[in-house]
Amino acid sequence: MKFVLALLHRNATADLAAAKLTTVRMLVQPAIYLFVFGYVVGGMLPTQGGGYAGIMAPGIVAISLITGPFVSVGGGVISGYYFRTMEEWLLAPVSLRAILAALVFGGLCYGLAGGAVVAVLVWGILGLAPQNVGYMVLTATAGALLFSLFTLVLLLVPETPDKGQEVFSFLMMPMTFFGCTFYSYDMLGAPFSYLALLLPTTYIAEGLRAAYSPASPHMEAGAVLAGLSLATAVLIPLADWAFRRRLRDFTW
Amino acid sequence: MTAVFVDNVAFVYPSGVKAVEGLSMRVRHGEVYGLLGLNGAGKTSVIKMLATLLRPTAGNIRILGLDPRENPAEIKRRIGVVPQENNLDTYLDVRQNLIFHCRYAGLAKTVYAPRVDEWLALLGLEGKAAESVLRLSGGTKRKAMLAKAFITGPELLILDEPTAGLDPDVRALLWDRVGEFRRNGGTVFLSTHYLEEAERLCDRVGILHGGRLVAEGTAAELAHKAGRDATQPGGVEAAFRRAVGGCQ
Repeated sequence: MKFVLALLHRNATADLAAAKLTTVRMLVQPAIYLFVFGYVVGGMLPTQGGGYAGIMAPGIVAISLITGPFVSVGGGVISGYYFRTMEEWLLAPVSLRAILAALVFGGLCYGLAGGAVVAVLVWGILGLAPQNVGYMVLTATAGALLFSLFTLVLLLVPETPDKGQEVFSFLMMPMTFFGCTFYSYDMLGAPFSYLALLLPTTYIAEGLRAAYSPASPHMEAGAVLAGLSLATAVLIPLADWAFRRRLRDFTW
Repeated sequence: MTAVFVDNVAFVYPSGVKAVEGLSMRVRHGEVYGLLGLNGAGKTSVIKMLATLLRPTAGNIRILGLDPRENPAEIKRRIGVVPQENNLDTYLDVRQNLIFHCRYAGLAKTVYAPRVDEWLALLGLEGKAAESVLRLSGGTKRKAMLAKAFITGPELLILDEPTAGLDPDVRALLWDRVGEFRRNGGTVFLSTHYLEEAERLCDRVGILHGGRLVAEGTAAELAHKAGRDATQPGGVEAAFRRAVGGCQ
C-alpha cells in the first residue's frame, strides 16, 4: 500500500511541476468542448427529450474518464520505457502485482479526478448536474478502472510500449467518437448500434447519460453494468498476464 | 559467509541470444568483486540476474542467502543497484528522486529525510537538489544514481559499470564511497571495463568473455597466471588480454 500511495504521490508531484500542461489537459480542453458543442452548437440543434447539451455533456465526462487513465497509466509505462523509470519501480522491494496495482490505482484516481473536474465544468457552463450521483460514481469508477487496465494491456502486449502506443492512437479515435460520446445509443440504427456495443466507451457514456437525465433515452442500467463488468472481468487477468510477461524479465 | 552465490547459471534472451553460459561464482560478505569483460560479454545480464530483474534460464542464484525466485522483494530490500543506464525520474528533481526512491522502498519520512540531506551533501549535490534531472550533466546524474543505491542502507551494492564515461574526480568520489561502504561491512559486486578500476578497487576479479567466466582470482593471482610479476601494476590487464585473446 505504501508503494501504491508513493507512486500516486509521484504522479501528482510530476503533474504539479507541469501545472500549465495539466491545467490545459484537465480544464481548458474539456471546457472548450463543452462550450462549443454544448453551449454554441447544442443551442442550434433540436433533439427529442431535451437539448443536445444534455446528450453530449455526459459524453465529455466519459472522455475525461478515459483520458485520465491514459495519461497516468500510459504516461507511466511509456516514460518507464523511454526513461527507464520502470526499472526503478521494478527494483523497489515490492511484488510485480503491487506495481501493477499502483499503476491501475493511479489511473483510476486520475480518471475520477478528471471526470469530477469536467462534471463541475458541465454544471458551470451548461447548468447540468447529475440526478443520480450514486449511479454516476459507480459508472465513473468502473469506466476509469476499465480504461486503466485497457491502457496497460494495449501498451504491454506488444513487444515494446512504443509499438503499443501506435495501436493505442489507432484505437482511441474510433473508441472516442463511435462510443456514443457525442450522441446517445438510442440515436444509432443497425448495424452501428451493434458495433457500438463492442466499445466500452458506449457503456460509460450511456451510464453517465442515465445518471444525468434519467428521463431521457438511455441504455438500461443492467446492460451498462453488465458491459462494464464483462470487459473488466476480461481485462483484469489479461493485464496481469501482460504485465508479468513483459516485466518478469526486464529486457527493455 | 557467501553474499552472492551463482551456480552453473545460463541466460538466453527471448530472441535466442545466449548471454551467459555455465557461470559459477561466489562473493564473500565484505568483499569487493569485480566482473571484467568487453562490451557484450554478458556483464549486464549477470548484474540484472543478481538484481532480480532477469530470471536465469538455468542454474541457481542466491543473494544474501535468498533465492530470487522465492524472495525477490526481500532481496531488493537489502541491495542497492546502480544500473548501467540512468533511470532517474525525469519528471522530478534530484531531491524528489531520492525521496521517492526511499518511499518506494517503504522507508518512513523520519528515516529518509535526514538520509536524503546526508547523501546530497556527501556527493556534493546540495546545489543541484532542486534541479530537474533533464538539466543535469552525465556526472551529476551518475552521482544521483549512486546516492539512490546507498540511501536505503543496503548490505550488498550491485554496480553496473558505475564509472563509465565519468570525469576522474567523480570516479574518485565513487571509489571513496565504495571504500567507505566496504569498511562498514558492505559487499560490492561491480562490473567494469576499466582494468585500473578493477585492480585498484576489487579484492577479486572475474573475467567474463562470451558469457563464460574465463579467469578469476585476486590481482596477484591473475598476474601470476598471466606470467607477470604480482608486485607490479598491470597484472589484471595482462590476465585480461590473455583471457580474451585478441578480441580487444
